[in-house]
Amino acid sequence: METLGYLMDGFAVALTPYNLMFALAGAFLGTLIGCLPGLGPANGVAILIPLAFTLGLPPETAMILLTSVYAGAMYGGRISSILLNIPGDEPAMMTCLDGYPMAQKGRAADALAISAVASFAGGLIGTIGLILLAPILARFALTFGPAEYFALFILAFATLGGITGKNPMKTVIAATIGIMISTVGIDISTGTQRYTFGVLELYEGIDFILAIVGLFAISELLFFLESRIKSGHKKVNVGKVTLTLKELVSTVPTQLRGGVLGFIAGVLPGAGASLGSFISYTLEKQVIGKKGSFGEGDIRGVVAPEAGNNGAASGALVPMLTLGVPGSGTTAVLLAMLISLNITPGPLMFTQNADIVWGVIAALLIGNVLLLLLNIPMIGVFVRLLSIPPAYLLPIVTMVAFVGIYSISHSTFDLYFMVAFGVAGYFMRKLEIPLVPIILGLLLGPEMEKNLGHALILSDGDWSTLWASPLALGLWLVAALGLVLPLIVGPILRRRMRSAIEEGPVSD
Amino acid sequence: MSGLSDRILGLGLLVLAVAYGWVAQQWPEPFGGSEGVGPETFPTILSVVLVIGSLYLMLKPDPEALWPWGKTAIELLVAVVVLVIYTSLMEPLGFVISTTLAVGTLSWRMGAPSGKAFITGLLSAVVVFVLFNYGLSLSLPAGPLEIN
Repeated sequence: METLGYLMDGFAVALTPYNLMFALAGAFLGTLIGCLPGLGPANGVAILIPLAFTLGLPPETAMILLTSVYAGAMYGGRISSILLNIPGDEPAMMTCLDGYPMAQKGRAADALAISAVASFAGGLIGTIGLILLAPILARFALTFGPAEYFALFILAFATLGGITGKNPMKTVIAATIGIMISTVGIDISTGTQRYTFGVLELYEGIDFILAIVGLFAISELLFFLESRIKSGHKKVNVGKVTLTLKELVSTVPTQLRGGVLGFIAGVLPGAGASLGSFISYTLEKQVIGKKGSFGEGDIRGVVAPEAGNNGAASGALVPMLTLGVPGSGTTAVLLAMLISLNITPGPLMFTQNADIVWGVIAALLIGNVLLLLLNIPMIGVFVRLLSIPPAYLLPIVTMVAFVGIYSISHSTFDLYFMVAFGVAGYFMRKLEIPLVPIILGLLLGPEMEKNLGHALILSDGDWSTLWASPLALGLWLVAALGLVLPLIVGPILRRRMRSAIEEGPVSD
Repeated sequence: MSGLSDRILGLGLLVLAVAYGWVAQQWPEPFGGSEGVGPETFPTILSVVLVIGSLYLMLKPDPEALWPWGKTAIELLVAVVVLVIYTSLMEPLGFVISTTLAVGTLSWRMGAPSGKAFITGLLSAVVVFVLFNYGLSLSLPAGPLEIN
């Protein structure tokens, strides 16, 4: 019941008109970011971070804004999946399978409406799961010592490539590069200058926000330029909603199953929203069996993945909020925001910054309601925005990224750095070196070094302390599994996901 | 040779890792004597990990990536040059002029008709400038357009 009290306090924070306004703005922007192909959720949230700073928002408002954007992006991804058969973001891939056929049968409006409801159900289930699980995990995490934390960071990196990741060695390399970048600057504990080469701008280290924005936004621009998608998409006629109440009710079990499965996939390290929607869809197909018409526009084929990916989105916040260890790119970016607000994420945040944690959780609940309200009547607006050609959109997005970074420090030095990161990001994406571990390395590097130092000081320099406790040893084992498992399971899962998509309608 | 890009990357990272590790060994011992963990401990571990990773890349590279050659490569180069010039002109020319040029050029190179592209650039520049300078009171460089 303690939790309920905190949640009420959270609502008190989130329901102030000022915060509510930002939640609404975030929900709208998020849907927009989600539905525009080429502007992924991690990218979108990253660009908004410097803007949230320059607006001088108080920490809880800034977090509410970004969390609403995050939730909104998960809603938005489905729009282009259904209408154009192009997923707006990766987790929305599975929604194409039945969403697009529904649209072709003239039921686009129904598909959009039911998927909004499913997103809401998934988001709600996920958030309830978050409310129940997070305090327990936070309390458990209080027993972690520095050695356990060090092992936990290793675990986070090892599983980050995800179960579907291709080359685990590239994940390791990416994470190492990220941590290396984080060691630039003056060492906190001894004051030694590391890798600054006497350049004054480097003394404070490299700001991870400009690295994130550069890696995502600039490399995206270059990728788009390479693929040369010139024209915007034709305006699609959505039509009227003909969904009956009976149909809506018939999908309730699917929504529940999808939401719960998604949430579990979200909490587990290395799974994430894409796997959440994939599992929900596959399970639904098996439960319904031959009675359904999956792949030809079955309404449950739209509901399951949408409930799944929104459940997973809330689930992914659990490790980020309680342990300070994000499991996905977008939650990593949210973590970046917390760190820049001088809030140490992790179990202590639940006691020291209770208003922020619970404000964010309450905002997630409110955000889901707002998103549902926003997404049914205003769908036309988003559909119209889809027809903006990327040739106009992407340069403007890039410019906004420049403005954001410039407004942090008013120095063009940072902008050159950002462009350099963007070019590096382009080459790394080309070579299939994942960007998310780099970012996580940048964010967690200092914490990792600090915990390593503490652990070794406590043990008088005995390195075996790092795996001395059963808990730490367990974390190391899971981390090892996380690196080895994708080698075995990865190819199978990837093949299944691909064949599931190929079985679906062929786009023309 | 297959996987040439990965091998080159591996070689580059190997050089980086060795240099990074070597630099770490040069730091003076911190004031107050050395303890179990010094400023060089963590970087040394990282450099070892990266050495192993880069060797692996060179020995077992992934299949070759598809690189854009010819016209596309030039387009990409142009885009990067535009961004660098944009950065260098932002303060001397002011935000509005430099942004019009940068957004206009980029969107023209991405396939928009040149007239429309530069109008988009100008409009977005003015909107963002007004929004930031007057709405959010954050000063973007005005350059020669500054009104006193």
